[in-house]
Amino acid sequence: MNILEAKNIKKNFGGVVALSGASLTCHEGRITGLLGANGSGKSTLSKIIAGAYAPDAGEIVYLGKTVHYKNPYEAKRHGIGMVYQNLSLVPELTVWQNIVLGDERNHGYFLDDDSAREKSIHIIKKLWPKLNIEGRVYELTPGEMQVVEIAKAVSRNPKLLILDEPTAALEEAQVASLFKLMRELAATGVAIIFTSHRLWEVVEICDDLTIFRNGENVAEMDFSKDEKNLQKIIFYITGSQEEAGIAKTCAETCGDVRLSIRNLNLGATLKDISFDLKKGEILGIGGLAGQGQQELMLALAGNFRKVACEAEIDGQPIRLTKPSNAIKHGIMLVPGDRQLEGLFSAHSVFSNLIFPKIGLEKNFVIPHGKLRKECEQIVGILALKTAGLDVPVSTLSGGNQQKVVIGKWLGLETNVLLLSDPAKGIDIGAKNDLYSYIIGEARSKGMSVILYASDSKELIEYCDRLLIMYEGTVVSTLDTEEITEENIIRASMCIEDE
Amino acid sequence: MKARATVSAALNSFFFNKYKKLIVALLLIIFLFVLGEIVVSNFLSVSQMLLTVKLSSFIALFGLCQMIVIAAGGGGLDLSVGYTATITAVFTAKLMDGSNENIWIAILAALALGLVVGILNGFFISYIKLPPLVVTMAMSQIIQGAINVYTAGKNITGKPSPILQVIAAKTTGFVPNIVFLIVLLTIIVMLILYKTRVGVLLFGAGANPTAAHLSGVDVKRVRFVSYIMSGVLASLIGLLLLGNMGMAFKDMGSNYVMPSIAAVVVGGVSLNGGDGNYLGVVLGAIFLQTLTNLLVAIGWGDAGKWTGFGIVLFLLLIVYVSNRRKR
Amino acid sequence: MRRKNMKKGKHTFKEFTSKPEFSSLLILLVMFTLTAILQNNFFEIKSIMRNINAFAPLILVTMGQAVVMISGGIDLSSGTALSLLSCVLTSIMKKNDPITGLYAMIIALAVAVLLGLINGFGVGYLRIPSIILTFATSFIWLGIALFLRPTPGGESVPWFAIFYNFGSLKDVSGFFGTLGGFLPPSLILILIGCLIWWVISKTKTGRYIYAVGGNSESAYESGINTAKTQIIAYIINAIFIYLATLFFVGQTGSGDARMGDPLTLRSVAAAVVGGIALSGGRGNVYFALVGALILSFVNKIIFFANIPYAYQTLVGGVIVIVAIAISQAYISYSTKTKEIKIG
Repeated sequence: MNILEAKNIKKNFGGVVALSGASLTCHEGRITGLLGANGSGKSTLSKIIAGAYAPDAGEIVYLGKTVHYKNPYEAKRHGIGMVYQNLSLVPELTVWQNIVLGDERNHGYFLDDDSAREKSIHIIKKLWPKLNIEGRVYELTPGEMQVVEIAKAVSRNPKLLILDEPTAALEEAQVASLFKLMRELAATGVAIIFTSHRLWEVVEICDDLTIFRNGENVAEMDFSKDEKNLQKIIFYITGSQEEAGIAKTCAETCGDVRLSIRNLNLGATLKDISFDLKKGEILGIGGLAGQGQQELMLALAGNFRKVACEAEIDGQPIRLTKPSNAIKHGIMLVPGDRQLEGLFSAHSVFSNLIFPKIGLEKNFVIPHGKLRKECEQIVGILALKTAGLDVPVSTLSGGNQQKVVIGKWLGLETNVLLLSDPAKGIDIGAKNDLYSYIIGEARSKGMSVILYASDSKELIEYCDRLLIMYEGTVVSTLDTEEITEENIIRASMCIEDE
Repeated sequence: MKARATVSAALNSFFFNKYKKLIVALLLIIFLFVLGEIVVSNFLSVSQMLLTVKLSSFIALFGLCQMIVIAAGGGGLDLSVGYTATITAVFTAKLMDGSNENIWIAILAALALGLVVGILNGFFISYIKLPPLVVTMAMSQIIQGAINVYTAGKNITGKPSPILQVIAAKTTGFVPNIVFLIVLLTIIVMLILYKTRVGVLLFGAGANPTAAHLSGVDVKRVRFVSYIMSGVLASLIGLLLLGNMGMAFKDMGSNYVMPSIAAVVVGGVSLNGGDGNYLGVVLGAIFLQTLTNLLVAIGWGDAGKWTGFGIVLFLLLIVYVSNRRKR
Repeated sequence: MRRKNMKKGKHTFKEFTSKPEFSSLLILLVMFTLTAILQNNFFEIKSIMRNINAFAPLILVTMGQAVVMISGGIDLSSGTALSLLSCVLTSIMKKNDPITGLYAMIIALAVAVLLGLINGFGVGYLRIPSIILTFATSFIWLGIALFLRPTPGGESVPWFAIFYNFGSLKDVSGFFGTLGGFLPPSLILILIGCLIWWVISKTKTGRYIYAVGGNSESAYESGINTAKTQIIAYIINAIFIYLATLFFVGQTGSGDARMGDPLTLRSVAAAVVGGIALSGGRGNVYFALVGALILSFVNKIIFFANIPYAYQTLVGGVIVIVAIAISQAYISYSTKTKEIKIG
């Protein structure tokens, strides 16, 4: 029996097409895998089914009825449970209290804690028996938190369970027990949607497979009939791409080593990363989303006090433990989250642009006239569309806000520009302005760039060399001529060449 | 139709938004004066206005301390300013003892006292990460205790130097001198906040500590320094308070603390940090004083004064937070 | 049977020592010992009773404050709320009409609930930051209290004294008088308070207060009505304040619009010393009692240690900061954050 049928779902986010006609069917007692490259729309579809977003067009039939859930809570009440990647736990409560949160039962007038504990133990025992259900959530490792999150969704006895990248934070043994639990649930008739960046996991556990590319599904497989052919699956994910020949000029212009990183480690997040960055080089950081790329960028910008790393810039050793250290040596970061990490939204364009300079230089009085002239130049260089230097940054469009974040550094001498997904959520015009400026600086002035982009097309277009990250470490390096869509996806998913 | 569109565009314009809260505060003050004139006669007059400004001056002065620590973010607040001012007054009254000779020593003593209080507050709040509310509350208790120790078994003696009295208590023509001081201070503070790196760092650390940190600014140090500024200012205000009162006594500063926080709120400064317009704080102080005067003039006494004060503050809060009410 | 074993296994000694509450208990033990050494007649029933009476108001107000703080808020109006309730009680009571005492108790309880409702509504539904909202309402409470009682005074029915001392009334001196010798009414009020919280902590409301204070977004996503939960937290707080007021009026027989003022910030400090985080979600209401006891013992120690009177406030303030710093250091030591935070 079909539990869920999503037909021809469309969804736009401010002009950007996320889904252009996606369909998905889930059957009772079967595990459906969702595969696709970054931005292919699998997360968006999951969230639409769970009620977090409303679709622009299309129909969702759940248990034989067309449904329009207004929020995740409503969907949850009707038996659609979703495990999110960003956790929704209350850190101060214990494990079992989190598992039953919002779904507490009474025994007489009081809470029935005994049955809640029993219920939690019942689920946790299958998932991760070592986990102490009386422990507070803030004491747990990320993997254990993910286990609790899964247990919370499972405890509601969902008819449809959506697991969005549940294994990313899990240890191997935890993955094995999760798979066992998924099998058990499926045997009781629960339909499960499963996404993971680990291709072999999806192939191993799933009964059905749906593959997404560019917001629509390109293939469906039923492993009870079809064979598990990895080559074929990869073909569907990447599609047959025409590789546009882009003139790369790095070989001639790239100079000596500017930044050398050896054995960069940060807790369990980043492991043994080493690389050299040449003058004028544009080094890409690729891989599937959430493999430590953003953290690497932050670490290089000196954000983490506890980072361990031997770094040299132009032959001089440098400690990357304070942002001001990095900035003094010309290592500038354009962070991934503009609002949270880059901007003072309520402050004027002018205040934003001069902030790092004021922080670095010790002049007490701000030379307003001089700085305004500089800022006007910056606005011109970046083609920043603003009603003036004094309007709040929050009134600008996403692309122009991003230009402000980059503009912050233009007043200072930049040796290495770190770009963390700079084109996220900005329109195509601003994106082109941005990249053409950066490429120009790299080529003409020898500025080095490290670019992380979630969209592999940007990496293919602009990078001289590409490091692929996987679970916190660099797994392969692609040289200029090797940077193709297929190679990136192969390397990102850790598929060995045959 | 078109005219309406223009009007609404003007209302939404940047200029209006930036000064919206100042304009609201100003309109409220005018409204109170007009209301006062209607309810009780002789309320609306130049002398009454000057008196109001004079009375509100110490709320405005302490409001500066609050604004600085609030602007630096992190739930900043300084409840210790009242007793910091008091201890300075008690201590320097004896030093000066009614003559101008030792005023420099008095100022140095005030600076030293403020520095000590500020460093302690800032250290515990910014580096040990204790809640500002509790730390500054305990700090004010400690200072109060220090005053008790200093004055144990004797009367508080001494008088301010005449210079201080001239500044804080005398009038020039019909304008109280302290009004000039407030005007001057407002200009200086606005210049420092908008023309020097102090304002940029302070507001940056308050508006988005993560972005400030990533831009190479030591946010902890900025907050630490904000408490030092607050402490030093508070003890200098203590000198003025002494000049104004003509003598020092144990509780001379503590009554201004809570109104000074209210003035910051009425002045449109977000308690979340990241902005601050001292003109707004001064207007907020004047508004609160006008409101107090009006409520007293109506004749309901203390009861009416505090009830009205609280209700108006409550209503203003509802208006101020209405635009971020979601869910 | 297995269930019981499971529950027993949850508190090993080692786990307990790693909790922030443990440091509060240690500090309390030190304070207790010092007081016992310094006060010669510490263990005499009479002085125990006197101590309990002296500590009761702060304990009750702190427990209420703790509930609000756990829900992620703060109440800067608790002192003036206490004053207002004392004025309400003494305005209604007529000295020669015993039944008015009952009316007064009922009306004051209704007023208390209303005060909690207003604060909770402002914080929960209007989403005004609690620190500034309760600061504003504290002026309103003060104003109304002054309307009712511009100067301290008022009447109280004689039997109201039972909230202070059973033996105080000749009519009931028999049985209750004897009982009062062992069980002071202030202790009963504290026990009533503990019982109220014990019942609530066994219900969804209690759990939700922690959830909302810990992570309001997650709580909302789990289907919890966060605004309603915050309102209930403020009402519980108001009931604790009401209990403290009964004791005060029982003791003095009069109302005073300024009597509660010092309690506000003291209760916040006591709650923090008791291990309740101002950031919400963390702490134990019964340990608010411990925090209040610590602060109360500090006063006792200063008194009995022959520290000159002038030094008492100074030493008290220093000890508050030290106690908070210790509990804070303990929290950050025992809960090493595993995730990497920005900054």
